[in-house]
Amino acid sequence: MVGLTEFDRNLRPAPMVAKSWEIHDNGRKIIFRLRDDVLWSDGKSVRAQDFEYSWKRLLNPSTASEYAYILYDILNAEPYNQGKITDSDLVGVRALDDWTLEVRLKHTAPYFLAITTFEVTYPQRRDIVEKNGARWTDPSTIVTNGPFLLESWSHEDEIRLKANPGFFLGKPAIDRIEMVIVNENTTALAMYEQGQLDFIDNRSIPIFEKHRLIRQPGFRIVPQLRGYYYGFVTDRKPFDDVRVRKAFAMAIDRRIFPKILHGGEQPINSWIPPGMIGHNPEIGLPFNPSEARRLLTEAGYPNGKGFPEITLGYNTDETHKMVAEAIQSMWKQNLDVLVRLDNQEWKVYLNKLNNDPPHLFRLGWGADYPDPDNFMKLFTSTSGNNNTRWKNERYDELVERAARELDEQERVRLYNEAQRILCETDLPIISLFVTAETTVLNPRFTGLEFNSMARLMLRQVRLTEPTGANPS
Amino acid sequence: MSRYLLRRLSHSLAVLWVVATLTFVLMRVTPGGPFDREQRLPPQVLANIAAKYHLDEPLISQYLRYMTGLIQGDLGPSYKYLDRTVRDIIISTLPVSALLGILALAFAVIVSFPAGLLAAYYHNSWTDRWCLFLATLGISLPNFILGGLLIWIFSLQLGWFQAGRWGTLSSIVLPTITLGSSAAAYLTYLLRSTLIETLGADFIRTARAKGLKEIVVIFKHAMRNSISPLLTVLGPLLAALVTGSFVVEYVFAIPGMGRFFITAVTDRDYPMIMGVTLVYSTLLVSANLIVDLLYSVIDPRVKRH
Repeated sequence: MVGLTEFDRNLRPAPMVAKSWEIHDNGRKIIFRLRDDVLWSDGKSVRAQDFEYSWKRLLNPSTASEYAYILYDILNAEPYNQGKITDSDLVGVRALDDWTLEVRLKHTAPYFLAITTFEVTYPQRRDIVEKNGARWTDPSTIVTNGPFLLESWSHEDEIRLKANPGFFLGKPAIDRIEMVIVNENTTALAMYEQGQLDFIDNRSIPIFEKHRLIRQPGFRIVPQLRGYYYGFVTDRKPFDDVRVRKAFAMAIDRRIFPKILHGGEQPINSWIPPGMIGHNPEIGLPFNPSEARRLLTEAGYPNGKGFPEITLGYNTDETHKMVAEAIQSMWKQNLDVLVRLDNQEWKVYLNKLNNDPPHLFRLGWGADYPDPDNFMKLFTSTSGNNNTRWKNERYDELVERAARELDEQERVRLYNEAQRILCETDLPIISLFVTAETTVLNPRFTGLEFNSMARLMLRQVRLTEPTGANPS
Repeated sequence: MSRYLLRRLSHSLAVLWVVATLTFVLMRVTPGGPFDREQRLPPQVLANIAAKYHLDEPLISQYLRYMTGLIQGDLGPSYKYLDRTVRDIIISTLPVSALLGILALAFAVIVSFPAGLLAAYYHNSWTDRWCLFLATLGISLPNFILGGLLIWIFSLQLGWFQAGRWGTLSSIVLPTITLGSSAAAYLTYLLRSTLIETLGADFIRTARAKGLKEIVVIFKHAMRNSISPLLTVLGPLLAALVTGSFVVEYVFAIPGMGRFFITAVTDRDYPMIMGVTLVYSTLLVSANLIVDLLYSVIDPRVKRH
């Protein structure tokens, strides 16, 4: 499927169904001009009304979509989703004619265009959804508009796609793609090596096999816009003291993570990941064990003496365990502090973070859209995902102002200041590394890869030219 | 007979009701909910979802709603797989698990009968020791090790069979052996020990003294008397194998129902947990009922009361 826009290689929204757009009213009104040659798989044109219907359906409370909030920047979208207003005509999205879509926002939102790359904003056909109800996604009834069509879908087993001859950018080079669900990574790898599969990703590559696969020609590492961090519960001893937090952060040598995880992890001291505007490698507290010891002494725990027993929590997983053990031993070595590790099953862990969090906890954060707003808002005092109980008015203000600022340079300046508070002065979290996707593609093919939002781009897959090919 | 059957059936229904109620309560007191995410959902979005699935109602009315649906054969929607009902999912996955389970049981029976018989007949010989060794191995090797080992040997090294997936002849062999091996080992043990006991019994000596052929002594007299303990375990074994195994389905990428015994719980997909638990307990209860009825056919000493 394709939507209004698609990411280009630099993760900027580029035209797709929308051939152009105009921004009015200080960023609060966007007019999308649609191409008139995009067809649904049943031959009908993709029209602005299909977007209007899809977006309003997403926001309709009875759809109960998990992603409804992604459109909350639209005028009246939030009250409509809350059921406070029931007239969908009041929601700020409207097809002016078949090829013109008007979107009115409740405030300036420089990241809104990036949201239109997101799958849930893709168009839907009212006639198909209303006729088939819950079965509208069935291969026999669904209509789509992308480079590939859904041929069959055997749930929990496989999805078969076939090339769409009517795709407006031309039929893809590959006729058919089979996507197979294999939960066990060693099996998936065996199937790849046996030739049953041509492409596998992170989830199918056991950690202990990565160092072997890294030498294969089709191996690739794609850094993701996904941060991995440890949070402090800042309203409880001993981490209510910022010196202790700093000491813990500066006692970690982050260079160890790619060495033990083998997945192209990039150590990071700041929070906004590389590849996003606002990323600034200068920000953050680097590894400095002597300064860490000094800070801990200053806080009243010389050589870790008298330090209370604390717990680091993480959800049960091989990777998280390796990271936690590595850090545990660095804290022991550099601060002479013993930290107890405590792992729990994912949902139990999430529940515990809400009700009875450990002193230190592991979490990750992936972007819905590649804009720093998505990352920085996480630690505002009103964020439902801020488990650190840390509040800073200046930080809140900076993040809010940056979200409404259209000038990119000014935004970067605001985010720099906010990141200094987050990663240098207040330090409610320790940003550890940015994760990566590792994939292996049969060298017979090229062009199949993840972008840094972990989305798989199928359109550009093709057979490798015979010269230099290495059929296996 | 029909009164007996009626009584047994009503007992079975009571058991199922207890299982359903206990499961319902247990999954609700388990911490964590179906819509907990790393990225927490905004409260209004959660409220819409709760309203859609009636999770905003008091627990007792949710329970009554579920039970009313259950009586009408409605197992509810899956919370994890959007737009799919638990019934749909079970209908599409149970046959796969059932076929694999039946094949595994057939494998277990075909292997264990001769093995158990040989081991018992040549009690304390090398044959016996070999059978015991293999049976111990079969019981103690976890499925994920055995499965991985078989994939490594027969798919990667020898290239004889497919490493994963389901549907072709080449894909069936390895999971069948993996799933069936511990059952085979268990049945071998059981058959061996009961046969040893039976072969030492007075009536066997009498049969031999009458001059009956050894083959008649074994199959007509000894086997027939050793089979009822086997029957007792075959019922629950069948129910367990037919509903699928999480490990085997994971290791071999088989789209069966077994995986949901684990994933439904980790996802906190409440209706799915109820669905698979009820399918399993229904099969278990029915298998036990059938076994009890079969006793009287095989062993005339068992009287119905």
